[in-house]
Amino acid sequence: MNNQHRHLIQTEGLAKVYSDGSLQVPALRGIDLTIHAGEFTAIVGPSGSGKTTLLNIISGLDKPTAGKVWLDGKPVSDMSGAELSDFRRDHIGFIFQAYNLIPVLKVEENIEYIMLLQGVPKGERHRRVHDILRDVDLEDYAHRYPSKLSGGQQQRVAIARAMVSQPLMILADEPTANLDSKTGADLLDMMRHLNEVHGMTFIFSTHDRMIVDKARRVIVIRDGLVASDERRN
Amino acid sequence: MSLYARLAWRNIFRNKRRTYITGLAIAIGLAALIFLDAVYLGMANNMIASATASFTGEGQIHGRDFLLTQDAGKTVADLDGVMAGLKNESLVKEFTPRTLSQGMVTSTANVNPVLLVGIRPETERGLSQMDDVIAQGEYFAGDDPQNIVIGSKLAELLEVGLGDRVVVTVSQAGSGELSQDLFRVSGIYRFNIDDLDGGLAFVRIEKAQAMLGLGGRVNEIALSFKDPRVSQEEAHPFWAKYSTGGNEAQGWTKLFPALKSIYDLSMMATWILGIILFAVVALGIVNTLFMSIYERMFEFGVMRAVGTRPWGIRKLVVLEAGSLALLSIIFGVVLGFIFTVIVSRTGLDYKGVEFAGVTIKELIYPVMQVKQYILYPASVMLFTLLVGLYPAGYAARMSVTGAMKRTL
Repeated sequence: MNNQHRHLIQTEGLAKVYSDGSLQVPALRGIDLTIHAGEFTAIVGPSGSGKTTLLNIISGLDKPTAGKVWLDGKPVSDMSGAELSDFRRDHIGFIFQAYNLIPVLKVEENIEYIMLLQGVPKGERHRRVHDILRDVDLEDYAHRYPSKLSGGQQQRVAIARAMVSQPLMILADEPTANLDSKTGADLLDMMRHLNEVHGMTFIFSTHDRMIVDKARRVIVIRDGLVASDERRN
Repeated sequence: MSLYARLAWRNIFRNKRRTYITGLAIAIGLAALIFLDAVYLGMANNMIASATASFTGEGQIHGRDFLLTQDAGKTVADLDGVMAGLKNESLVKEFTPRTLSQGMVTSTANVNPVLLVGIRPETERGLSQMDDVIAQGEYFAGDDPQNIVIGSKLAELLEVGLGDRVVVTVSQAGSGELSQDLFRVSGIYRFNIDDLDGGLAFVRIEKAQAMLGLGGRVNEIALSFKDPRVSQEEAHPFWAKYSTGGNEAQGWTKLFPALKSIYDLSMMATWILGIILFAVVALGIVNTLFMSIYERMFEFGVMRAVGTRPWGIRKLVVLEAGSLALLSIIFGVVLGFIFTVIVSRTGLDYKGVEFAGVTIKELIYPVMQVKQYILYPASVMLFTLLVGLYPAGYAARMSVTGAMKRTL
């Protein structure tokens, strides 16, 4: 099986019910999904449809009420809290909507953070930071603190941080929501380029029409179920 | 610097005002602890010195049961051997023999009970301060055996002055026969301590021995040490060495149990103050860290999401507590040192104040000790790290999705 057909994420009967006292709110009602390596996938749906819950469970940040998730063939439910932390650290890159950098660390230190947790040697860390900063065109901003960057620049640093440890996949939650359309489009082009050149898997949770247009797979979630799953060439 | 240490150090300066206010509170508390410990120690030393240096000495050797019975017949055994031993003792600074006997002093106007003390003036001078507090007359000038030196209060009670004659009556050791002699008041001292000024009368030891029928024997050897701490160590081998052959050797802690209690109380006061300080530190640190954690919930969520283990978050928060403590300690130690040094030069004036039967006669000078600058700061650091575990545990146990509710 080549990398393109590798089952990176597989879910089976995934369900999640939130309880608030006697009130039971079903967020997911049985999701069966397979995402392969190298995909550029957008998960879309109205607010409250369950797309955020789905990403939380896929990444091991939350636990399902029922059903199973396999990440790169490994069942997530069998992992302990520490194992899940390590799995996320080594195999998943995260890009959040905003404010996702550590404000007291400089750009290069933010990017270096995960590699420090991984114990990557200093020389290797510096080489990778330098390379990724060049890829996201932020070489001149390495020694700045996040507060000295624009929103678009901060998101590029977040993308660099997510990619630098060479994870299996990148999960991005509304990565363009706080950006103007031009900056958002540029970032999206950059991520698409990284996907095409490096074969990095991207999974977006989004409302952004621009992301949906550029995605090669669009999964629509509605009322906790997969309403449609469209693949494009 | 490790990743977490670097993060922690920078994090505490994210809200500078809060850090400085909390740090200042801890620093002032630590400085107060250092300063008050030095003052308590100075006060205790002052009181001990007042009690021991005036007359008693830092230690005494008696014949067994003398202190209990006050029987003049109970004398120091093997006097020559003990005196020779003390002379060669490297720990001992000064020592002097005394006879002690209850008696009556009679003047033409009045009669008063006294403790008649027979002394050797030349060695007594090195041990007690009587020669320093002579208010009238002289301290055993010449060699007249009929000289007597009395306190100002006793002189007042007897209505006598310099050159006046008084009769001293004592009971002879062993036989109990009364023995009387006529003395001339040659000196009047004033310690400003009622018991000493009103209850003692001093004569030459040879005269006292003759009146008491003691021959060459004595009731007491008072002594002082080159290192005063020896006198506080009840388990010091010195005491056992000289508590043999029918003698008892004791330091001031046993001779003045009330003073020892005051000394212990002053040490306890330092501990109580320390506990109060640590409670303030605990509340300050916990409050500051929780405020900081609540402000950074999302950030902790991000850190956990990208792979930071709960242990890493715990370590970060504890290191933040440690960084705050380090800042506070540096400032507190400097503040405490400066304040203590200033007061060490000026002294605190409590002269004349009587406490537990001891009158403070000198200015109180704070006593600086290494422990104040090592033990207390180290305790503040250790305690801070310990209390930091509570908010650290809270941050580490936080649900990642709960912390990041607004996004993933």
